[in-house]
Amino acid sequence: MLKGRSLLRRNFAFFKLAIVSQLEYRLNFFVDAVMQPLLGTGVEVLLWLGIFQTSGPTFGGFSMQDYLAYVIWSPFISRITSTWLYEYKMIAEIDNGSINGLLVRPMSFFEYYLSQFLGYKFFTTSVSLVIPVGFILYFRLPTDFSRLPIVLVSIFYFLILVQMMSFTIATFAFYLNKVYSLTAAKNFLLWFLTGELLPLDIVPEPYRSWIIGLPFCNAVYLPVGYLTGRLSKEIFLRGFITTTYGILFFAVAGIILWKQGLKKYVGTGA
Amino acid sequence: MIAIETKGASRVYKSYTKQQGFRGSVRGFFRRSYVEKTALHPTDLQIHSGQIVGLVGANGAGKTTLLKLLSGLISPTHGKVLALGFNPFDRKKEYLQQMSLLLGQKNQLWWDISSRDSFALLAEIYSLDRSLTEKKIAEITQALDCESVLDTQLRRLSLGERMKMEIVGSLLHSPKLLLLDEPTIGLDIVAQTQIRNFLLNYVKDMKPTIILTSHYMDDIAQLADQLLLMSKGRIVYNGSVSKFTNATKKQKLVGFSFPEPLKGPQKILNVNLAQGQQIFEVEISELELPQFLSRLTLLPGIANLTISAANFEDEIRDFMQNESAKV
Repeated sequence: MLKGRSLLRRNFAFFKLAIVSQLEYRLNFFVDAVMQPLLGTGVEVLLWLGIFQTSGPTFGGFSMQDYLAYVIWSPFISRITSTWLYEYKMIAEIDNGSINGLLVRPMSFFEYYLSQFLGYKFFTTSVSLVIPVGFILYFRLPTDFSRLPIVLVSIFYFLILVQMMSFTIATFAFYLNKVYSLTAAKNFLLWFLTGELLPLDIVPEPYRSWIIGLPFCNAVYLPVGYLTGRLSKEIFLRGFITTTYGILFFAVAGIILWKQGLKKYVGTGA
Repeated sequence: MIAIETKGASRVYKSYTKQQGFRGSVRGFFRRSYVEKTALHPTDLQIHSGQIVGLVGANGAGKTTLLKLLSGLISPTHGKVLALGFNPFDRKKEYLQQMSLLLGQKNQLWWDISSRDSFALLAEIYSLDRSLTEKKIAEITQALDCESVLDTQLRRLSLGERMKMEIVGSLLHSPKLLLLDEPTIGLDIVAQTQIRNFLLNYVKDMKPTIILTSHYMDDIAQLADQLLLMSKGRIVYNGSVSKFTNATKKQKLVGFSFPEPLKGPQKILNVNLAQGQQIFEVEISELELPQFLSRLTLLPGIANLTISAANFEDEIRDFMQNESAKV
């Protein structure tokens, strides 16, 4: 009981650390949480408005209203579920040896970064949520706002899987130097597999079913589809199960690589 | 009671060797060659609770490798390491709760937040009582004269202030084992003295086991009661500081001058006095001192004769040079 309480308090402290660190650099925070999503969404909307003006009332079976709702929610949600900042940080800690200061503390490297990652995402999401909501209301696009809370829960559950993947990739830094390119390659792959690049409905069968069977579509495709009313609750909730499988898979891979990696670690730079 | 024990503990590092130049880089891309380097040869060591051990050696002697093994950052290639009854590499929370590692050349507090926020975070990590922690922070920062910068972001502090904060952070959980790697590196003489005096008082009160590495021999001479000298991955001396100074060949510094520069070169025993020089300071072994003085005083016009003991740093340096010269 006491252990559980101190674990919670410790992780809440890491959660707050990410927020406090963000608030130290006001311009960086403003650009990250407001300017980037605002510009990104604005450009997407303008681009697709232009495409629909020339291509006609539908595109790939989607009406303009449906597509605009997708391209507004999709980058917003994918911004939450994609990561490079904390993955780079973890890789750098191992690469330059600053992990030494963390390894000698009575805590785990994984929990330290997971709680910070969730704190950072929670804070920036809370602030930038106003942008897609504003666009949706302004253009009167299809969105069932009563579904937003459960969608946000599923996204934050998916973030555990995201962090598991990041942790697994970061452990490669024990074996090789400069593994940042793995992050770029992973993000490029996820760009497609999550449905951020395009709605997965456009992908031909059987590839579509294969991709939807993977947990990655829980990052963008399922939450956006459910939020905009194109997917049923049953399909959406199935996503929790695939996310759980993904978490378990990467947890096992990450733990094995971590334990073996620590044996190879030479305590660089200390 | 034994706080630290190693039995045949050794560590070998494997590293990639890059051939010179562009062609070497291309060749290395396809076929890499590795070399193994023994950073620590099989080492048996026992350190008792409450001892302050000065760990001294040239760069690459194996000091930091030994500290990394004791802190659990790396595992021994062969042999066993026990610290406070734990295998450090298991990283049991019970062990980490009682140990602290301070790396003088690395920040361990958080760069983007104030030291006070960092300490609050450490209090949560170590499950410390908040009010007791605040009291402790006030005591230590006052002793180190750095309470005025507690609320300043770490990145905005000077090197000395930062190091003092790192020391506060490393002591918050009252560790039984304190591993200090160059705690005064790069600091001015005032900050060095402050930290040294603080540690002296701290060990008197708290009696932790300390292993201290430093390139400043004053740190070792004033703080340590046991000396571990390392050379090329081996412990070449393990004993008390006083025994070391008695065991090594005692040197004396003899200073003297002449009314005017020497008109021709002179030689007394093995010491050459150069032509044209007027003031001298030479190092003589204690055994040769009487003979040297009897011959020196025969020289006309000798004045300002002083004799002093060579300092600890000189003795360590001579010892290490002799050890390095051995194959």
